[in-house]
Amino acid sequence: MLAASSLMRRLGLAAVLLPLAGSLPAAAQSEKELYEAAKKEGSINWYTGFVQNQLVRPVVANFEAKYPGVRINVTGGRDIDIMIKILAEAKAGGLQADLVEGPSVVKPLREAGLIQPYVPEAAAKLAPNHKDAKGDWNAVLVHYLVPAVNTELVKPADEPKSLEDLLDPKWKGKMAWTGEMTIAGPPGFIGSVLNAYGEEKGMAYLEKLGAQKVATIPSNPRVVLDQVIAGQYAIGLVTYNHHSAISIAKGAPVKWLPVNPAIGAMAREVLLKGGPHPNGAKLLINYLLSPEGQKVIQEAGYIPSNPAVAAKDPSLKPEVTGFKVFSPPPADEDRDIDKWIAIYKKLFQ
Amino acid sequence: MTNSSLPASEQLQRRTFWRRPQGSLFTWLAPASVGLVLALLVLPPIAVLIKTSLTQEQTGAYTIAHFRDLFADPQFYTATWNSLLFSGLSTALSILFGTTVAWVVVRTNAPWRGLAYVTAAVSLGTPYILHVMAWLFFLGRSGPVNELYRAFTDTGGNLFDVFSMSGMVLIQGMLWSPLVFLLLAATFERSNAEWEEAARMCGASIARTMWSISFRQAWPAITGMALFVFIRNLESFDVPVLVGGPGRVYLLTTDIYLSTTEMPPKMGRASAFSVILIAVLSAALLCYNRYSANADRYASVTGKGYRPRPFDLGRHKWLGTAVVVLNFLFVLGLPLIVSLWLSLMPFARPFAMAALPFATLENFQQVLSDRHLIGLGINTLVVAAEAATLAMLIAAVAGWLVVRHQAGARLIEVLSSIPIVFPGIVVGVALILIALNLPIPLYGSLTLIMLAFLIRFLPYAMRYAHTGVLQIHRELEEAAGAAGAGQFTVFRKIVVPLLVPALVSGWVFIFLLGANELSMSILLAGANSQVMPVAIYDRWSSGQNVEVFALGLVWTAFMSVLMLVLYLTGRRFLAALRPANL
Repeated sequence: MLAASSLMRRLGLAAVLLPLAGSLPAAAQSEKELYEAAKKEGSINWYTGFVQNQLVRPVVANFEAKYPGVRINVTGGRDIDIMIKILAEAKAGGLQADLVEGPSVVKPLREAGLIQPYVPEAAAKLAPNHKDAKGDWNAVLVHYLVPAVNTELVKPADEPKSLEDLLDPKWKGKMAWTGEMTIAGPPGFIGSVLNAYGEEKGMAYLEKLGAQKVATIPSNPRVVLDQVIAGQYAIGLVTYNHHSAISIAKGAPVKWLPVNPAIGAMAREVLLKGGPHPNGAKLLINYLLSPEGQKVIQEAGYIPSNPAVAAKDPSLKPEVTGFKVFSPPPADEDRDIDKWIAIYKKLFQ
Repeated sequence: MTNSSLPASEQLQRRTFWRRPQGSLFTWLAPASVGLVLALLVLPPIAVLIKTSLTQEQTGAYTIAHFRDLFADPQFYTATWNSLLFSGLSTALSILFGTTVAWVVVRTNAPWRGLAYVTAAVSLGTPYILHVMAWLFFLGRSGPVNELYRAFTDTGGNLFDVFSMSGMVLIQGMLWSPLVFLLLAATFERSNAEWEEAARMCGASIARTMWSISFRQAWPAITGMALFVFIRNLESFDVPVLVGGPGRVYLLTTDIYLSTTEMPPKMGRASAFSVILIAVLSAALLCYNRYSANADRYASVTGKGYRPRPFDLGRHKWLGTAVVVLNFLFVLGLPLIVSLWLSLMPFARPFAMAALPFATLENFQQVLSDRHLIGLGINTLVVAAEAATLAMLIAAVAGWLVVRHQAGARLIEVLSSIPIVFPGIVVGVALILIALNLPIPLYGSLTLIMLAFLIRFLPYAMRYAHTGVLQIHRELEEAAGAAGAGQFTVFRKIVVPLLVPALVSGWVFIFLLGANELSMSILLAGANSQVMPVAIYDRWSSGQNVEVFALGLVWTAFMSVLMLVLYLTGRRFLAALRPANL
C-alpha cells in the first residue's frame, strides 16, 4: 500500500489523480503516508502561542517519540508576535511557518491568503462548531472565559452572580480585564452582552460598566488572573476558567464564577499555505486532534476539543456545570469584531 | 573669514593641523567606512519604516491616512501633553538622582562608594520586567505601602495609586538613573582637578565648587544626556503601557502600542509615529550640535596631568554614604526584595507573615531543572557581547570623527542617533523583511538578533563615545601630530587609550541592555536562536508569574558574577592600557 503510493508519487501519477482527489480531501493521505512524507521533510516549524513547558514541550516530546525522524521546531511568543512574523515572512516571500493556532488568527490569515484548507482524518469526531466545513481550521482545544474573584477580597455572599451584579458600586475600580482585542478579551465580552441583552439594552449596560472604571491590563487573561490572585484587583472580568482551576490546585485564593453568558473561544489550528513542510504539519494537526494528543492537552489542564476526551476537571465544561456560552460562528465574529473594538474604545478607553 | 569669531589661537590650530591638505589615508578612509557601515545599518530600516507608514495595510496601496489619523485623533493633544510631562519629569528625576550619585561616588571620599557601581551593574543586569513588576507590586493596592496605610488608618483606601502619572515618573526615573550614573561617572572621573582645586584654594565651599566647577564642566555631558534620556522616555512603550494603561493615563506611545496589538497588527500607524519622531529628533540634534560645536571649552583631559583627587567631605561623609545607600535601595534593593519574596511563593501573595509558611524553593527547582536554561544563557551572552563590541568599535571612530568635525561628521552623527526612535517592533519587522530577501540564510539566526541590537543600541554607544571624546583636549592629539604621528597613529595611541573608560562603560551598558532586550528578540528569535528575555516573558504571560521572578533572579545572579569577573580581569587590562605618564 505504502510502497505503491510512493511509487505512484514518483511516477507522477499522483499529479494526474490530484484533480480527482481534490473533491475528496479527507481521505487523501493515511497516517502512514503522511509520516513517510513528513520524514522526507525532516522537520516541522510550529509557530505556537501555547504555554511552552505546560503544553508545547509535552506535545513535542510525545510526538517525536511516536514519529521518530520528524523534528518539531517551536517558535513561541504571543499570538500577536507570531502573527507579525508570519505576515512579514509571507510578505518577503519566504514563509517559514507550517502551522499556527490561536483564537483570532483565522481572519488575518484568510485576508492574507495564507490558509491551506485541510480536513484531517482526526477531525471527524469534532462538534460542527469546532471545525470549519472547508477545512480552513480545526479547534484543538476550547476555552471558556468567565469572571474570577479573589476569595480573600470577595466574600462568598458578595460574589457576582449575574452581569447586573458587576455594576454594584462597590466594585468600582476593583475590576480588571485583558487588553487583547480578540474574542477572548473585552470585544468578546461586549459581543456577549449585546447578544444577551439586544442592541439597545446591551449598550445601556455597557455604558454603566464603563463608569465602573475597569482597568485594562496590557497583557493576556492569564496575567489578569495573576493580578487578581495577587490581590491587586478583586475581580477579573474575562478570564479562562481552566486557568483558575490550575491555580486553585496550587492553593491560590481564586474562584471562577459561572456567570451567564460565558464566552466560548477556541485554539483554531491552521495549516499555512506555502509553508516548507506541509506533510509534517498535517501529521502534527492529526496528532493534536487524535485521542493521544488530546490526552496531552487534558493532562496540561486544558479542555480538549475532542468529545471523546474529558477535561481533567469536568466542571469546566458548560454542559457539566450548566452555564450558557456565547460562542459566535467565526463568520459572525469576523464580521462584528471591529464594531466591538470600536465600542470598547468609546466606553472603556 | 567664516571663523573670525573664533579665538586666534584656535584659528591657528585649525590651519596648522586640522586642515592639513595632504591628510593621511585614515583621514578619508575612516569617515567613508564608518559612514558606509552606518548607512547600511540604519537606512534600510528607515526605508521600510517610511514605506510602511505610507502603505495601506490590507490593500498595499499608497496612503497618507496614517499621518492624517494621528493628528486628527482628538486625544492626540492630551496625549502629547502627557508624553511631554512624563518624559520631562522622569528625565529630571533620572538626571538629578544619577548625577548626584555619580558626583558623590567619583569625586568624594564618602565610604561605601563602590556600592553604586554594583548597584548600577546588577540593576541593569536585572530583567526589565522584574523592575516594573516589583514596583507595581510594591506600590500596588496589595503592596506593603498601601497595606501599612490601611493597617494604620482603617480607611480601606490607598495611600498611593501607582497607576498614575507620578507612579509612571517614579518607575521610569529609577529605571534610567543607572544609565545616567554610569555615563556621568565616566565624565566626572575625567574632570579637571586643577580648576576644582583652584576654586577650593580661593575659599569656595564644596557645594560652590561642585556647582560652579564640577557641574559646569560636565554640562555638555549632562545636557546631552538629558536630551538623550528625554527622547528615550518619549518613545518608550513599556512603562506607559504597563503602568499608565491600567490607570488610563494615555501617552502618544500607548496608542501606538495598542495599534500593534490588534489582530492583524496595524503597523502603519506605529511607523507614521516613528517617522514624525525621526523628524523631531533630527531637529533636536541640530540644537545639540550647538553645544558640541564649542567642545574645546569643556575639554578637561589636557596635556597637564588630569587625574582628579577626591574631595574630602570630612564630617559630612555620612551624607554621601546616605545618597549611595538610598540609590541602592531604590534602584536595586527594592526590586530584588520583592522579586525574592515572590519567587519563594507558590503564587503571587502580598507581603504578610501569614504567607511565610507557604514559602517554597519549588520555583527555583523548576527553573534550574530546565535543560534549555544553559543554551538560552549562552545564546544571550554571545549575542549581547557581539553587539556591544561592534557598537563600541563603530562608536569610538564615529564619536571621534563627530567631535573633531571631520568630513561627514554631521551625517555620521545623525545616522548614528536616529535608531533611538526606532520602536523595537519596527526594527524587528524591517529585519525580517530584509533578511528574507537576502541570499544568505540570516533569518532565524542569532546573527540577525545581533544586528538588530547593534542598530538599536548604536545611539547609546555614540553617547558614551561622544561624551568621552568631548573631554579629550585637542592639544594631546596635536602634540602627537606635531611629533610626526599620522592621524591613525594619533587615534590608536592617544584617543583610544584615553577613551577606554568611556568605551568600557558603554560596552557594559549595551551588553546589559542586549541581555535583557525583549521586543526585537521576540520577533527575531527562531526555533534554534532563543534568548533569555523571551523565555522570561513567555513564563510571565503564561501564568508562571512566580517562576518568572525565580528565573529572573537566577539570571541576575549569573550576570552579576559575570560582571564581577569582567571587572576584575578588565581592571588589569585597563591598567596595562593606560599610558604610563598620565
